[in-house]
Amino acid sequence: MIRAIRTILTGHGFDVEAVGTGQEALDRYSARRPDIIVLDLGLPDMGGVDVVRAVRALDNTPIIVLSVRDAERDKVAALDVGADDYVTKPFGVEELLARIRVALRHAAHPVLGSEPVFRTADLQVDVELRRVSVGGTEVHLTPTEYDLLKAFITHPDKVLTDRMLLQQVWGPEYTSEAHYLHVYVARLRRKLSIGPSQARYLVTEPGVGYRLLGEAT
Amino acid sequence: MAAGQPGFPWRSGHSLQSIGPTAVPTDWGNGVNWNVARITLKRVAKRFRDGWSVRTRLIVGYLSAVLAVLIVSGVIDLLEQHEHIANVSLLYLIAVLAVASIFGSGPAILASLAAFLSFNFLFVEPVHTLYVADPAEWVALLLFLTTAVVTGQLAAGQRRRAQEAEQREREAVVLYDVARLLGETELEISLRVVAARLREELHLAAVVIEIDVDDEPTRVGDGDATAIATVDSAVAGSKRVLGRGASPSTTRRGSPGRWVRVVPPHAPHAERSTGPHRLFEVPVETGSRRYGTIFLMRQATAAPSSSIDDRLLSVVATQLGAAVERLGLRREAMQSEVLRATDELKTALLNAVSHDLRTPLASIIASAGSLKETDVTWSEAERREFAEAIEQEAQRLNRLVGNLLDLSRIEAGHLKPERSWHDLASLVDDVLLRLRPVTIQHVLVIDVPGDLPPAPLDYVHIDQVLSNLVENAAKYTPARGEIRVSARRNGGEILVEVADSGPGIPEAALPRLFDPFFRVTGPQSRPGAGVGLAVARGLVEAHGGRIWVENRPSGGARFSFILPLQGPRQTDSTGSQAA
Repeated sequence: MIRAIRTILTGHGFDVEAVGTGQEALDRYSARRPDIIVLDLGLPDMGGVDVVRAVRALDNTPIIVLSVRDAERDKVAALDVGADDYVTKPFGVEELLARIRVALRHAAHPVLGSEPVFRTADLQVDVELRRVSVGGTEVHLTPTEYDLLKAFITHPDKVLTDRMLLQQVWGPEYTSEAHYLHVYVARLRRKLSIGPSQARYLVTEPGVGYRLLGEAT
Repeated sequence: MAAGQPGFPWRSGHSLQSIGPTAVPTDWGNGVNWNVARITLKRVAKRFRDGWSVRTRLIVGYLSAVLAVLIVSGVIDLLEQHEHIANVSLLYLIAVLAVASIFGSGPAILASLAAFLSFNFLFVEPVHTLYVADPAEWVALLLFLTTAVVTGQLAAGQRRRAQEAEQREREAVVLYDVARLLGETELEISLRVVAARLREELHLAAVVIEIDVDDEPTRVGDGDATAIATVDSAVAGSKRVLGRGASPSTTRRGSPGRWVRVVPPHAPHAERSTGPHRLFEVPVETGSRRYGTIFLMRQATAAPSSSIDDRLLSVVATQLGAAVERLGLRREAMQSEVLRATDELKTALLNAVSHDLRTPLASIIASAGSLKETDVTWSEAERREFAEAIEQEAQRLNRLVGNLLDLSRIEAGHLKPERSWHDLASLVDDVLLRLRPVTIQHVLVIDVPGDLPPAPLDYVHIDQVLSNLVENAAKYTPARGEIRVSARRNGGEILVEVADSGPGIPEAALPRLFDPFFRVTGPQSRPGAGVGLAVARGLVEAHGGRIWVENRPSGGARFSFILPLQGPRQTDSTGSQAA
């Protein structure tokens, strides 16, 4: 696994240092301060989530976690303590590279979303005027729907766990009321799918959360 | 029958009726009184049998014999004062019969002799001597003695037989009950009742039964709490163990076995019983194995057990052994049944693995090997084809492995859906979007109303169910064929349907279609492991739903599943709809 990823990433021009244990990873991290960390959650010596927490205590270096299917809890836990994204094993090269690029972009522009207008192919959100339009047609959103959309456009292409979204939109006391979220995401999708392209902006990451696609599919 | 026995000889003799009104109830014709007499006698006899120790019983018996003769002598004396009655000596027979019926043969002989002597002494001329003047009187006296002894012994024999019959009936009833109880499935409950029955029947202080089936020791006790508590300490001490008797053969009756006194090492040899009880042990065993022990705590002062009791005990122990063995065998049979089913599953799994894992692996290995080859120059298109083959086959493997894992989790019962309210329409969209590569050659028709209420479901699980159904439909639907996915509310449930336009399913295969590793054979067959549908069923059922399949009249198959709308948390669901 390490070998394959090192080969792929080196081939794409990254300078890669690969280690086999969580402890080594933390040691090398302190020594080299890499631009991004790709972390497999199944570590031989310690919990992957603990590594994420330890890194976050030091810096905001983007972390992408790798995990197998059915380990949704672990992924959510890693994301909740500060991992930036996850990729489910087995994965395609393109997927991993795309995630890495997004994470690096976010790290480079941490205040993305403070721009007054968010724009993709069809979707356009004017944050100052609180106006949302799809393919030029204005969409009326309730305040909660708008807050939810805003949470997404602040982190395009980044996976947001149910917990994060609930906390941001409804407040910390609602973090276990996931059904509010699912119902509102469904409503928001319906309102945003009026455009001619029937594009999907919000994709479900099963068992983990949602992601707003910067480039609609 | 036993109940009538004590009175039986009295009913026959006509002449004896005239001498009735002495020691027995007067109104012979009245059935009520007769019954009262019978019951009273029976009760006296029972009290005599059960209440006292052997020595007391003997003393009371012989004293009663003498007393009865004295009373009859007094009565005869009274009668003689009025007029002379021929054969008045027969009155003594009543006393002898009564003594024989109640106390048995020993006291009856004593009563006969006493009657002979007192009649001789008191009423035969010359009175107050044992000398008999008239030889005819001698003959009469000897005849009387013989009659008394013989009828006494007959009555005593009758009594003994009555007792034996009663015992046997008791034994039969106990055995019947024990046999029936041991047929029960709950061993501990039946043991408890058997212990109680034994204790009552054998007049014991306590009965403790210890049974060990499959290394699961069960111990039940009945009776005096202190006696039960002392069983353990008593086991270490001196005790009596019922040895196995001779087995019955075609020509010989079996014997119940004898009590063997066992003095374990370090125990005082003298029979210093622990407290007021004495311990008896009856091993519970079948021909080959020992299954446990019946411990009996008997009052140290109580009479020793009769051979009938011993027989009862050994039969109960044998029954118990057989029942326990049967239970063990039943468990073994069940286990081997489970093992057989597991084995079948394993074989099917191996078949699936060997074929369905190897096929994609083969093309992966071949493609990768080709890419590595240096002596052939592949064109860019060829290289791409190899890479795509590797990726596609690996994806197929990944799906198969995921399904196998799910299946093993379902089979092991480890699957717990984490249900939360989700919009089914988005789930359908997500699944179809992700599976677009699989359905690229088909016409997809999606029929999901916009007002479909949110349903409580585990997103990952139902995603898997729908994916498996859609993949299955894609596998059997020819290119440009239609695949229709629909969802609608149906009362308190959500109904989801995936209909294909494939060849349909052979009638014979319908009931087994969702069984793990079941494959449709014949011309309609497609490659696969027979796992996807089994997983779908397991996941739907874990949600409290139902999945089924039918052939469409217009051709093709329609898979449907329903999910209940009642959520895991009813209050929250109403809250979310109000929000």
